[in-house]
Amino acid sequence: MTVRIRIQQQDFDLAEEYQLLRQTDSVVGAVVTFAGLVRDFEVSAEGHDSLANSIDSLSLQHYPGMTESLLEKIVEQANERWNLIATTVIHRVGDLAPREQIVLVGVASQHRADAFEAAQFLMDYLKTQATFWKSVSRNGEQRWIESKASDQHAARRWERAADE
Amino acid sequence: MINLLFFGRLGDFAKDVPSTIEASTPAEIRELLAVEFPDLGKALHQPQVLVSVNKMIVDWDQPLFDGSEVAFLPPVTGG
Repeated sequence: MTVRIRIQQQDFDLAEEYQLLRQTDSVVGAVVTFAGLVRDFEVSAEGHDSLANSIDSLSLQHYPGMTESLLEKIVEQANERWNLIATTVIHRVGDLAPREQIVLVGVASQHRADAFEAAQFLMDYLKTQATFWKSVSRNGEQRWIESKASDQHAARRWERAADE
Repeated sequence: MINLLFFGRLGDFAKDVPSTIEASTPAEIRELLAVEFPDLGKALHQPQVLVSVNKMIVDWDQPLFDGSEVAFLPPVTGG
């Protein structure tokens, strides 16, 4: 499997990453890409979102060295569960404005089910295991984002699926 | 000497904490810090906080050696 893992401040080009995945091998029959964007509002821990929670900017901190090895492990787990030909994970760090791209997960496989499921798995595990921390700024006030139970729940479904 | 790192909101509580300490386990570091920095001590005691040594998640009683890098990690929020 071809693996590309990048943590970077600069933006990424979805089309370029798609082409790289597509051209990995002539047996690639499916490519799934997911791009996560900065919302201009913050969803509260209770799941409410409103203009009252609008943000000016978002900042992403990570643990250099550890984040990369955790992402490698998550990709390895995906590769053990599904038949994958190539995987790309790009996560941005630093200061980001609303509507900017934060994260890209791309998976190439022979058949679509592997790519679809692996992409979801990668995002669910990335969100709950990789050492990134978000803070948001609003009217000059900075606040750390709380982790969401719904993300933990989404990641746990893969444990159940593995037990079956 | 053990090198200390605090991530996410834990960093806000750790602004005046020295970057190195002498201790034999992460649990001992937590106790030592709680004496001088009670707010940080409280934050470190929350059950969701994980600890890593040399970038590997470990138990709080993991033995430490000179030069170990100990990081305190609140729940992650990337993606």
